[in-house]
Amino acid sequence: MLSADEIGVVLFTLKIACLGTLLILPPGTAVALALARYRGPGKGALETLLSLPLVLPPTAVGILLLEAFSRRAPLGARLASIGLDVVFTWRGVLLATSLMSFPLLVRSARSAFEEVDPRLVGLARTLGCGPIAAFFRVTLPLAWRGVLGGTVLAFARALGEFGATVMVAGNIPGKTQTLALAIFHDNQIGRDDRAVVLAGVTVAVAFAALWTTEWMTRRRSRRAEP
Amino acid sequence: MVGGVLLGPATAEELNVFAAASLTDALEEIGKAYQTASGNEISFNLGASSDLARQIQAGAPADVFLSADKAQMDAVEEAGLVRAADRVALLSNTLAIVVPAASSIRLAAPGDLVGLKRLALADPEAVPAGLYARTWLQSLGLWVKVKAAIVPTLNVRAALAAVESGNADAGIVYRTDAAIAKRARVAFEVPREQGPAIVYVLAPVSSSKKASARDLAKYLASPDALRVYEKYGFLTLAGR
Amino acid sequence: MIELSVELPLAGFTLRVEAALGGRLTAVMGPSGSGKTSLLEAVAGLRSRCRGRIVLNGETLLDEARGIRLRPERRRLGYVPQDAGLFPHLTALGNVRFGARGKTAQVDGAIETLEIRPLLDRFPASLSGGERQRVSLARGLAADPRLLLLDEPLAGLDLGLRERILPYLLRIRDEWSVPMLYVTHNVGEALTLADQVLLLREGRVEAIGAPVDLLSSPALVREAASGIENLFTGSLLSHDRDGGVTRVDLGGRVTVATSLAAERPVGSRVTLAIRAEDVLVVTGPVEGLSARNVYEARVDAVERTGDDVTLRFHLAAGGPPWLARLTPAAVRDLRLRPGSAAWLAVKSHSVHFV
Repeated sequence: MLSADEIGVVLFTLKIACLGTLLILPPGTAVALALARYRGPGKGALETLLSLPLVLPPTAVGILLLEAFSRRAPLGARLASIGLDVVFTWRGVLLATSLMSFPLLVRSARSAFEEVDPRLVGLARTLGCGPIAAFFRVTLPLAWRGVLGGTVLAFARALGEFGATVMVAGNIPGKTQTLALAIFHDNQIGRDDRAVVLAGVTVAVAFAALWTTEWMTRRRSRRAEP
Repeated sequence: MVGGVLLGPATAEELNVFAAASLTDALEEIGKAYQTASGNEISFNLGASSDLARQIQAGAPADVFLSADKAQMDAVEEAGLVRAADRVALLSNTLAIVVPAASSIRLAAPGDLVGLKRLALADPEAVPAGLYARTWLQSLGLWVKVKAAIVPTLNVRAALAAVESGNADAGIVYRTDAAIAKRARVAFEVPREQGPAIVYVLAPVSSSKKASARDLAKYLASPDALRVYEKYGFLTLAGR
Repeated sequence: MIELSVELPLAGFTLRVEAALGGRLTAVMGPSGSGKTSLLEAVAGLRSRCRGRIVLNGETLLDEARGIRLRPERRRLGYVPQDAGLFPHLTALGNVRFGARGKTAQVDGAIETLEIRPLLDRFPASLSGGERQRVSLARGLAADPRLLLLDEPLAGLDLGLRERILPYLLRIRDEWSVPMLYVTHNVGEALTLADQVLLLREGRVEAIGAPVDLLSSPALVREAASGIENLFTGSLLSHDRDGGVTRVDLGGRVTVATSLAAERPVGSRVTLAIRAEDVLVVTGPVEGLSARNVYEARVDAVERTGDDVTLRFHLAAGGPPWLARLTPAAVRDLRLRPGSAAWLAVKSHSVHFV
């Protein structure tokens, strides 16, 4: 059903999406926690800023990334000099997909953290937990559903990212071509039949990811009920 | 009468011209002149000829098609949207290898392309400019050696942009593109005899309902128009 | 011994408490919003803006001047909040063990004291209010604390439940040598449990003293919204089964009849509470009154408390002062003033054991 090249595209896409999701998990959780707890000035502005990739057209994000990481820009030049090219490489794919999926994780996780009664955290502190222990022993166990949901959303978004990716990483078969880009490319060269097959693959992958989350969330909540 | 073209009908029409991206600057100039002369409006849809052909076959409202190769025009003709008798082999072009203006890379001969990290071309699987470049590289036995470094782009101007931005080490574009480049310079050109035969084909789209479509097609092949193409470095095939 | 010299800005006022609290259990009382919970949180280390000094049994928890500020997890205190505050994702056992750091002896001791062994496998959601409170107490104890902070642990429980949990609190107070700071609104609890009462009003210490002294003082009269209680200690004299009353000797020549409480042994020390609203005032002796308790008295003080008036009397027969709450109209009609003579009447049903 799938050619060797196409299987390669699927594996590449999955690898990038998994790696990207793992990379954004620690900072995303930390930011979500900080947003949930922070009540000071500038909170609204910060939240809006972090939500921008959600509402901006992906190509807008793409062009901004391209400008920042191009070899002509200071950042891009510095990275290129130590062998870390971003534009037209898999690193560009990772960067674009991670950036676009980051706000989804933060949003879900933040909601979940906000629902954890802060008094419980205070109690855990009096019972001998430092801030990190309190997070892992109280906050996270109570918020895991939201964090997991956010993680899966981020993963799905990374799977499907197109606009920012194609601009920063290009559509190079075998190097930066993800499923979404491959579908586009197949259509461009008049091979709609393959494009449809690949689209079917993305449906299957997304379905599997979402269904697993559903199942996990439902199973656990049944156990906790009296 | 202006330039051998009858002035259009009393009501102004809006005409859609689907043309290869490499013709961007020349057509802008020609289009302005036509609009003044005829009172009609022209709207250009410029891009990879393969992309445009697909759009026309899918029913896009094109009135005139100017393709950078025969294959795309053939596809549109096969779909019954262009009549063979209306086709005109209009222009030719040659290939040029460009590098970023500030680059210190020395490329003098085709063999120097081997070993580059990133070589930008229009998608060599479908876009004419990319297909021409591939044919040329294959004829020299270099295709397999540079394949891994190729960065395929949406069309030939995107390949030029990749080089101008410095993100690609070099690119293969038309000589006419290199001529208008601001931040890229020509490393070397592919002489006409050594390169593939490049032919731009023009035809009015037969399914167009606009009265002025055929007139516009004629205007785009007129002596006035040919002068403009030559100004930008294209080789004209249709005689004066 | 807890030495407090703290200052904490709150919304509307600054909490300023200067006190040295010995004894086993100190009740912290005062009107809502006077800073009681904030005080507990400050001692627990949960209020970073708290300044000053907190020394517990010689160990410094906070000393701003010397730059010492122990983080909550280092203070080794037990905190029992108002609604148990159990971790919903852990069983009762998981909750109790949470701060114990593997000290099984401590955990077992707490489980035994609070008698929660049958509950250990259950999740908080399936426990009743009383059971949750006991688990919360056990959790605080199991952490081997130097001080127990309890924030109205019996609030929100019905009277029967309160009666049942009070003994556990007494047990903790008596068997575990952990000092306790106990926030409550309930005068009965304070009387039963506390060695001393710290009265807070708008963040300031209004008084510190023995419960019996404080709780019938004009100070508390002013604060409490309703249910000012007359609190008397005495010894149980006799039971009259046919008459349906139990008699208590309050000292002097005063005896009080309460509803029959045959289960209490004769001669035992008891504490009685009579709500000020339940005390009737008559301007002259009466015949044919159903109330079993009628005393000749004289008005000592008349004070406006919100929409009502509270009067303090001393009985002709002696003993501690009595408080009665009347409407201003009644006070006006009866022409009650300091020095007025009157008779007080209370039904035996209105006399409660505390």
